[in-house]
Amino acid sequence: MKDALKFSLADFFFNDNPDVLDPPSDFDEWMDDPSIKAGFSFFEQQLLSAPRAETEILSNLDGKVRKVINLTSYNYLGLSSHPEVIEAAIEGVKKYGLGASGAPLLSGTFDLHVKFAKMLADFKKKEDCLLYSSGLGGNLGALQGILRKGDLLVMDEKCHKSLVDGGTLSGAKMQFFEHNNIEHFASILEKFKGKRTLVAIEGVYSMDGDLAKLPEIVEVCDQYDNIEIYIDEAHSTLMFGENGRGVAEHFNLENKIGITFGTLSKSFGGVGGFICSNEKIIRYLKGYSSPYNFSCASSPVIIAGLIKALEVATRDSSLRDKMWENTRYFKKNLESLKLDLGGTESQVIPIIIGSSGELLFEMAGEAQKRGLFLQPVDFPAVPAHSRRFRISVSSQLTKEEIDEACNIIEDVIAKKLNA
Amino acid sequence: MNKSEVIEVIKKNIIDNLEDLEENDIDPAKSMKDYGANSLDIIEVVSCSMRELKIKIPRAELAEIATIDQLADKFMDHVEN
Repeated sequence: MKDALKFSLADFFFNDNPDVLDPPSDFDEWMDDPSIKAGFSFFEQQLLSAPRAETEILSNLDGKVRKVINLTSYNYLGLSSHPEVIEAAIEGVKKYGLGASGAPLLSGTFDLHVKFAKMLADFKKKEDCLLYSSGLGGNLGALQGILRKGDLLVMDEKCHKSLVDGGTLSGAKMQFFEHNNIEHFASILEKFKGKRTLVAIEGVYSMDGDLAKLPEIVEVCDQYDNIEIYIDEAHSTLMFGENGRGVAEHFNLENKIGITFGTLSKSFGGVGGFICSNEKIIRYLKGYSSPYNFSCASSPVIIAGLIKALEVATRDSSLRDKMWENTRYFKKNLESLKLDLGGTESQVIPIIIGSSGELLFEMAGEAQKRGLFLQPVDFPAVPAHSRRFRISVSSQLTKEEIDEACNIIEDVIAKKLNA
Repeated sequence: MNKSEVIEVIKKNIIDNLEDLEENDIDPAKSMKDYGANSLDIIEVVSCSMRELKIKIPRAELAEIATIDQLADKFMDHVEN
């Protein structure tokens, strides 16, 4: 295909083929192009053991099994393979079996779900909590359940797809403000004042690792009536704040948050999502949030493990402290290599390469062959001029592993960029 | 196809996708954002217009375009005359 590398997944949305099961013909041609195939070979590589800091993958690049230092999994606190969490999940499967076998309203609510939801609500200092079997379902279901046509959803332009899709499904008018641009944000609120409004932001933005400017956002919102704040703390729960409650705790502004969302698949090490808010809106959402009431409840095995994960993560701050120690050490080493780390303020550390997708994938291939599982992030997931790698720092990483990772990054990425 | 016809196609798609707008309201020297379009609306307008004009331009090349007129110029580079 001519100029195949100039195209991306953003370019094949419409399909004019008469058969709906026949993808666009130029999409097939594009996907079969050798340069595109090489790029896509980085996707869906198989992990052959737990997503620990050191793991094993079956490489799509050359079909080899390879031991790697894992900088890609979201296992920030190592809880997915924590011995106590594994033990709790084993006990859970023995007692409850594999699945919930029902939607929450009918037969899918187990004692474990009720216990865990209460634990999460207490942890987040909110009245009640709703569990979702997927993180995407949580964000999508909360917005779809709360907002209606005629309402206004104001969101940062870097908010996750799940929030965008939830807004679209709700029928609310959607307005995006430039990332963390408070002046632009304020101008939207002023333009649409008087409408029922929800403001959606993320605690930590997932591709950049920077934080929402929450104090400034709160200050603007406080000037209007009927504006509520929804914060997605997917990458910040259990990591930010004195007690790990997230970025809202970090800024001491939890009382200004109407709804707080979290995933159970990142720092928690399981899968699913949850929202915490006031009792009345949670009760309402049980009737109107489709991913909750039309989906099978989360597996009791996962919930059994998650209860233990929350206990382990909150009984002291040791895992969180170790993750921050690793983050500071990693960041200091990367900065000494003169790499562009964007504006990261968290354990999510981008290494921005620039506009060349070819260079990005070439570096990714070399890094993997040297034993680093560091996935490339290409357009349209990030802007075309700032294609990047994204490091997820885990508490499980040892100093030696970070040193070795930095050696590889220096050879494969820094030397090329600084040449 | 000339540039004014390309602008007509873009205008039609803006009207189809945004509320309370008429063709005469749209000034090509402005951005779609000036008419209340959010980023999803802009993607829809651009995609529908390209589909109608039977052209395909990589999205990555459209990021820097600020106005409707600039978008029409970019389209003109690809439209068969």
